[in-house]
Amino acid sequence: MRRLVLTRRESPTRGGQPIAFLFGLAFALIGGAILLTISGDPVFDVYERMWERSFGSLDTISATFNRAVPLALAGLAVSIAATMGLWNIGAEGQILFGATAATFVGRIFPDLPGPILIIAMLLAAALGGALWALGPGLARAEIGVSEIITTLMLNEVAIRLIVYLQTTKWKDPDGFGFPQITARPEQARLGIIWERAHLGVLIALALIAAFGWFMNRSVWGYELKIAGSSPKTATYAGISMRRKVVGVMALSGAVAGFAGGIELGGSAVRLSENISNGFGFAGIIVAALALMRPSGVAVVALAFSALQVGGLSIQTLGVSSAVSTILQALILFGAIGAAVLSTYQIRLVDRKVTT
Amino acid sequence: MSPAAVELDGIWKRFPGVIANAGASLTVRPGTVHAVLGENGAGKTTLMNCLAGVYLPDDGAIRIDGQEVRFSSPADALAAGIGMVHQEFRLVPTFTVAENVVLGAAPSILDMAAINREVAALAERFGFDADPERPVWQLSMGERQRVEILKALWRDARVLILDEPTAVLTPQEAVELGAVLRRMVEEDRAVIFISHKLDEVTSFCDEATVLRGGSTVAASIAIADVDAGQLAELMVGSSSAVKSLAPRVGVAGDVMLDVRKLTVTDSRGLTAVDALSLEVRSGEIVGIAGVAGNGQRALTDAIAGLETATSGSVTINGSDVTKAGTRERVDSGLAYIPEDRLGVGLAPKLPVTHNAVMRSYRTMRQGPLLSWDRAKAFCSDLISRFEVKVGRFDDPMASLSGGNLQRLLLGRELSGNPVVVVASQPTRGLDVAGVGAIQHLLVKQRDEGTGVLMISEDLDELLALADRILVMSEGRIVGEFDPRQASRAEIGEAMIGAHA
Amino acid sequence: MILAELTITETAVIGLFVATIQFATLLFLAGLGETISERAGVLNLGVEGMMAIGAVFGFIGGVESGSPWVGLLVGTIAGGAIALLHATAAVALGADQVVSGLALTMLGLGLADFIGDDYTSDPRRALFAEVDIPGLSDIRIVGDVLFSASPVTYMAIVLGVIAWFVLNRTSIGLGLRAVGQSASTADAAGHSVVGMRMGAVVVGGALAGMSGAYLSTFVVGAWSVGVTAGRGWIAVALVIFGAWRPGRVAAGALLFGFTLALQSRLQPFGVNFSPILVSMLPYLLTVGVLVVISIRARNQPSPSPAGLGIPYRREER
Repeated sequence: MRRLVLTRRESPTRGGQPIAFLFGLAFALIGGAILLTISGDPVFDVYERMWERSFGSLDTISATFNRAVPLALAGLAVSIAATMGLWNIGAEGQILFGATAATFVGRIFPDLPGPILIIAMLLAAALGGALWALGPGLARAEIGVSEIITTLMLNEVAIRLIVYLQTTKWKDPDGFGFPQITARPEQARLGIIWERAHLGVLIALALIAAFGWFMNRSVWGYELKIAGSSPKTATYAGISMRRKVVGVMALSGAVAGFAGGIELGGSAVRLSENISNGFGFAGIIVAALALMRPSGVAVVALAFSALQVGGLSIQTLGVSSAVSTILQALILFGAIGAAVLSTYQIRLVDRKVTT
Repeated sequence: MSPAAVELDGIWKRFPGVIANAGASLTVRPGTVHAVLGENGAGKTTLMNCLAGVYLPDDGAIRIDGQEVRFSSPADALAAGIGMVHQEFRLVPTFTVAENVVLGAAPSILDMAAINREVAALAERFGFDADPERPVWQLSMGERQRVEILKALWRDARVLILDEPTAVLTPQEAVELGAVLRRMVEEDRAVIFISHKLDEVTSFCDEATVLRGGSTVAASIAIADVDAGQLAELMVGSSSAVKSLAPRVGVAGDVMLDVRKLTVTDSRGLTAVDALSLEVRSGEIVGIAGVAGNGQRALTDAIAGLETATSGSVTINGSDVTKAGTRERVDSGLAYIPEDRLGVGLAPKLPVTHNAVMRSYRTMRQGPLLSWDRAKAFCSDLISRFEVKVGRFDDPMASLSGGNLQRLLLGRELSGNPVVVVASQPTRGLDVAGVGAIQHLLVKQRDEGTGVLMISEDLDELLALADRILVMSEGRIVGEFDPRQASRAEIGEAMIGAHA
Repeated sequence: MILAELTITETAVIGLFVATIQFATLLFLAGLGETISERAGVLNLGVEGMMAIGAVFGFIGGVESGSPWVGLLVGTIAGGAIALLHATAAVALGADQVVSGLALTMLGLGLADFIGDDYTSDPRRALFAEVDIPGLSDIRIVGDVLFSASPVTYMAIVLGVIAWFVLNRTSIGLGLRAVGQSASTADAAGHSVVGMRMGAVVVGGALAGMSGAYLSTFVVGAWSVGVTAGRGWIAVALVIFGAWRPGRVAAGALLFGFTLALQSRLQPFGVNFSPILVSMLPYLLTVGVLVVISIRARNQPSPSPAGLGIPYRREER
């Protein structure tokens, strides 16, 4: 009898992850093409349209940048938690609660001048996101509750909180009875910097760079790396695991919440349960594909954004925009396969038993 | 003559950088308890893992009842009637005793009442006292070991391998185990008993095979024909006179580490350190000898602040640090070389620089930032002073060899000018040059007036380095010896005395 | 039953409990599947996606063949088939279970939308009819609630009993639980960890697919984008709430099903409480249960499988 076994290579192939990502992309495009062909859709027209509407012109490129902002920030939030080996599956809920907190500030100070109001709303968003992640962080640090499930559950709570506000306290009086929340103050709109791209693009890039820099240069970042490598080593070095866990979860939540604030000030005019649009979940996949590295998160987020923006455009061809979602998921599965091949080699091994 | 139950013939097994077995052989007759003796690192466990299907030998033959076999997994070996009880038990803690016993060898439909009865009957047949319905997590280590043995008996193992079985047993339990093993061989099964405790070997076993350096140096000698002293000589080789490596230059000074009636309870609720007291004075090396697993790790972890003391006190250089965290203890003048270097003392995946500054990074602050210039300067100073061979500073710590890892770790700990150094198994697993360098550093530190507490399983090392040797057994200090006067045998007796 | 015999309140109560049973069946099937997968040590966050796949294939299979039974079968097979992707990535290849599961949810939702695009406003229906248990269904109110349900509900009960029996009373179940608790122990005892885990994930996916098919052949009766409406996540919560035990999962399904049923049926009772706040309950209760479990785990083993989420690879040699 012979069987296949995976054996780890002495050292993983250099530059493996970008190659794995490209392999995943190719895998997804081929998979998508097969799917489109089966359903009788014009494959090349669909892909051409997706390319046109995401990277085809300055106008579409800027729109792609905008959409990449929440994806990148959610991915950053996930990778921050991952420095301590924690999973923040709750970026979706933190984005929503961050946007809710920002809306709250907009409602109580509707007449503040634009720049001040924007800053106040963004800060509130970050604080809201941090609060939403703080519970899971504390529960994990103090009693060892799995943060995977708690953050996941709080996503659903955040969605329902917004739906609740939509139909009750924050219901738009001018909404003709339609359950929607009053629009945010008009002046709390992020400025346009280039074509359609808003200020959020710059802010997100700055945040990603700042986090990468801070991780590598600060005492806190150093301690985080030690704590993330092994809890025992951290205790040995006199670093408090509890404080690091709570701090990292709060920071992760703050970044996700901040993304909610940016969406509210940039792409959306009012708070709704759709303001996040799955960015929190996609962010997890973005971060995983980027191996939790901030620079990689920015690149992968841009690619995912292009797929999402492009996906919306193919409906006019009579093709479901779900193609975009499928492609995003297939990239991940393709990359998993490629990453395994780059770290492991598959061997045939004799399996003989003589008794 | 009936064929041997087990015949291992010229087994070779190499691991990266180590040859664990170099043509080792072993023949075990049915109906006997056969001891496999040897010092740590003699290749006993590897050889048995080859027999139990855990490892595939690189070369050599395994014959069971005269038939040559080749196992690719423990399950294959089990099917051929070979069961092994590892030092780390393979049990499902949430399962009951009976569920663990029948796992993998159960009837397709489980009638638990019937299974419980059968398991109880099996236990009774071999003189065990086991409640089949109790969950394993509630059992003591000795009881868990019986479950492991029952697992093998349930599968009707003809050969049972026990890897240092008495390490986790109380003396009473060890005697009971001996009785169980006798019953097994009465049924014409064979038992292979790995040990380095001579008293057990002479009281339980019929024959012994001695390994040294991965090869067999004495095969199937009848226990009745030899005494413990002869076996010991076979294990360690010609007993060369141990001479002190570096006689003490000064006289011991003030008490630097004072441990008073320290009690530590481990995660399983067992008492690991039992009202233990000891002192380490400046300018002396105090060695702790003892068989592994007698509370040494809990003791050093409690001194370093990684483990909480249930009662008692720890005083470093006059300040009571019993309640203090690891950082305060280091600030009081403690240096700690933990037994598990890579898992506790170092962050193997992080760069060398990150590891070098683990104790001193707080002095390299610039506001919220860490001055990497100063960190690198510190690291390069450390590397040159302690002669650590490093590729680049950015290389992960794990890329260093064992000796260099330990040099960096020791250097880092010594660079804080400690008043007391606690070194746990500081030379274990190092090559000859590495051992020499580490020993030299510790002696030098002692000569400069630091107090050193050294825990080692290598008695020769303690005889060569220590000014006083304390023997630890079952969480207590059971004897104190002057290495210049005490013999190896005397100390060895004290180490195993409590188990006899 | 003749409705005229009942008072308005009675009708409302019946409506509430009939809906509770429907939702409980839906949640139980998916929750049971996830329980099996997690007992083997594999967290599968793809339930929502597998359910969506089951829903769309259940609908298509039903309307194209004209039989809801065919729909249920097709949906079940489709759920198991897509779960094979998670089994391959997270079990055979050892990828992170969280990431792979979430990607499965994305893929399932996307594929379901894509495949179901042409069926979104399909007027055809292939619906299960309620099955009256002779004699018992005539009992006033109780009969309507308990003994006049869809055949899938009765099937779910049978499947639950079978799952309980296999998990607790067979050697396969013992091995599966051992694989989830301590993969190395199970491996040493001769069980195939990868085989067991992949099997459990596929069975779990099939049950989630069946749950989705039940949605489109009975509860909602049609396919539309977003028809699963986050119920897959409730199923994930349910497993924890039910402490990974089929019986408790069933009890939790009734409770969570009740909260789902309440959401649209509070008004007739004159209760002035937002149904949306009620809908938060399953998630908050689950967080509460998780906290209690973790506190208790200090003195006794947690009911959570100890190897949950940890990929297994035998030590290389």
